[in-house]
Amino acid sequence: MTHRTQDIGFEHSKISMLLSEESGNILLPDFLLNLSSESMRTLGGGFFEPREVTTVEGELEDAVEEEPHLNLANTTIIDEPAPIAKVIGNCTVAAVDVSSVRVGESEQGLLYALRGALVWREGLSYNFTRCGPLAFHLNDLIARSLNRRSRANDNLSYSAWSPLSERLLSRLRNTLERWMQRLACSRLSRGIVLLDGSLTAGTPDNPTVYLEDILNRSRENGNAVIAFSKETKLCFSGKKITRLLDKANYPCMLNIDRIITPQFPSAPVRLMGRVYVAKLTSRGLPFRVDIDRQLSEESAAKAVGRLINSDIVEQGYPETLRLAHILSTFTANEILAIQRHLSIEYGLKLAPRLSFRRSLFGPYGTSTEAS
Amino acid sequence: MKKGLIVQVIDIQFANLPGILEDILRDVMTEDTIQGCDYDPFNISSQIAVLKDTKILICKIRGAIEDGKAKTETSWLPSRTNSRIVPYSIEKLASTRNGKRPVTLGRTRSDHLTVDVKMLDGKLNIITGKKGVGKSHLSKLLILSLIQNGAPCLVIDVNGEYVNIGRTKNDEPTAYADKITVLKPGQSLKFGLSGVGLKTFLNTMIYALDLPRTSSKVFSRIWNELERSGNLKLDSLNDAIRRFSCHESVREAIYSRFNTLMDLELFTDDISERFDFSLFEKKMNEGHAFIINMKDEHAISRRLVVELFISKLTEQLSEMRLKAVFLFAEEAHFYLRETYWEDIITRMRHLGVFTTFITNQPDTVQESVYRQADNIFMFNITNEHDLDAISKVAKIDAESLRSIVKDLPAHNCLIVGDIVRDFPIVVNVKPLDIQTMGQTRHFFQD
Repeated sequence: MTHRTQDIGFEHSKISMLLSEESGNILLPDFLLNLSSESMRTLGGGFFEPREVTTVEGELEDAVEEEPHLNLANTTIIDEPAPIAKVIGNCTVAAVDVSSVRVGESEQGLLYALRGALVWREGLSYNFTRCGPLAFHLNDLIARSLNRRSRANDNLSYSAWSPLSERLLSRLRNTLERWMQRLACSRLSRGIVLLDGSLTAGTPDNPTVYLEDILNRSRENGNAVIAFSKETKLCFSGKKITRLLDKANYPCMLNIDRIITPQFPSAPVRLMGRVYVAKLTSRGLPFRVDIDRQLSEESAAKAVGRLINSDIVEQGYPETLRLAHILSTFTANEILAIQRHLSIEYGLKLAPRLSFRRSLFGPYGTSTEAS
Repeated sequence: MKKGLIVQVIDIQFANLPGILEDILRDVMTEDTIQGCDYDPFNISSQIAVLKDTKILICKIRGAIEDGKAKTETSWLPSRTNSRIVPYSIEKLASTRNGKRPVTLGRTRSDHLTVDVKMLDGKLNIITGKKGVGKSHLSKLLILSLIQNGAPCLVIDVNGEYVNIGRTKNDEPTAYADKITVLKPGQSLKFGLSGVGLKTFLNTMIYALDLPRTSSKVFSRIWNELERSGNLKLDSLNDAIRRFSCHESVREAIYSRFNTLMDLELFTDDISERFDFSLFEKKMNEGHAFIINMKDEHAISRRLVVELFISKLTEQLSEMRLKAVFLFAEEAHFYLRETYWEDIITRMRHLGVFTTFITNQPDTVQESVYRQADNIFMFNITNEHDLDAISKVAKIDAESLRSIVKDLPAHNCLIVGDIVRDFPIVVNVKPLDIQTMGQTRHFFQD
């Protein structure tokens, strides 16, 4: 449950009005909708092995790992963290998060669902627009179809599709996420756009061009883009970089960009944000925070100062981003609902899940397999 | 259907699906604090709503159908994969509408439930439930059904609720009014010594007034002497006790109890005032209900009257002067002595006293009664202690009983036992066109 320190009231914000007037093809791109329909049509009935969802299964969301492990040498002297000063004057804060989940397996491939949430706080009220779920049947056939489409459709060039089906989920997810991020950056002005993850791009599934486009649009509208990583694999002296703020008991941020950028000397992987470790509240958790590199350090600090004045920052994490995560995440019940939808809509027949461990070892298999 | 398993829904719950708690928490957390819209192009979310409201039916196996016939015992299980679930009319199972003496008890979820009133014959019954849920109403329905079919009933009415059973809501006599007699101890119910007889009188002195055994022997001698001399009257008995040659303590014991009896004004020498047990016999054998209104009666008076009647009934039944009696005993713990409980279940039952206990305090009925009961009519009970008490019933498992009884609305009762062919059934008891509220005095008249 959210612990709110401020009263939250409702009012129709400008962005809210704008988004509510949008047609679906603005909230979700047609090509993604068509891709979903097209991929699902390839199912053609048949057997479907649903993903088992039990209460013991804590982690349902399928994380897409892109961040490389990086150990930074401790030859550099680390600066003292700079205190974060609240900047008076509220601005609109928007946050985008996208979740993906495996729903099951067909005879030809894997079934996934995607959902994105755009949450924004204006004044004291929070608003959201949630898009999805979109179901996708990922198989080689679809990968080939995507490649063909990519040459024929400009929109699809937003993502360069690979025939490798194992990368499809990552690309689909990035496509939806970047679309929604671009929507937020385009529609918001003089606000803060919060993203989940880092501002690193340049992998095959996460091309630089799209993040660049998002950041450009954001700057044109006077927005600041700040990305929060819940987990980071950047280490310094063998410890996670977030540990650098262990002793800080005040809101502060530490610029570690100068020790990280040398690790990424050239393309393809580019750090498009300046990397900080930040603690937004005195007793909050420290996070890796990437802020648009094109903003000056002073502007970046001001943006963080405006953020903590404009949003609730419980435990050092912005409420807007937390809500975006909560709203986009799939619960086990929702996975069951999607499975039910698939069986009704596409005539899929549920196939019993064969557990080799259970077949071989019976009750002596491991608990998760045997359950 | 060649073969089937009969299962009864005993509870309906929300299915505890994985992730449902997270869903509900998210809804609660966001509903008042964040507004927005969902763009769900494939309408997948509608399935989420369906799943959230998914219910699970908790069922118990009640029997089987083989060759089209229902039976309560079963020794097989159907296939888990090839079986189908089909609704089956409960009336088909429990109804005995083709019996010779049909009576409609009320409605089930789908139809009227008609049973054969014969299923109360020779049986031990219990009607229980908390106050104001319809126990007396059902017992009135049973009494009326019995007298309609020529059965004799004796009702021990503690709260004066049955006194108007022979009158309609418009205060007109019902078709069976002449088959109902209301007796008020001390007024329309007075006894003569000879009519009661030594055995009954002595039993009353012993069991209702705790007369010691030695004193009872002396009292028997006094009674016999007066009877031999043809002078068995109250005054003579009074004088005889005072003058009889015996130890002072014995005399005192007899005399104090005799005085108690006299103070209650239950006995009379006036022939016109005396309750006529011969007429009682005659009417009962023709099918009649005697209501003994014990409202506002002293506890000793209650015990005395019941003791007298039961003792007299036993005598009449043993001598085959009475065929049988359907005894309706309301809140029996107020007047029934300890030793009678066992007696009612065993000896008296064989003589022809078929008792229906009616109580809102289930724990006052002895456990053996629950175990031996042939028919149990249970209205709503929410108190755990009371549920524990009725769980001793042998005709239904405790889990079903608790699950169903706790949620019964007023006037609905769970019936188990022979009358419903051992298939537990919930019935909404039908209304009666009689004055059901008895003579309860109210302050507010509007």
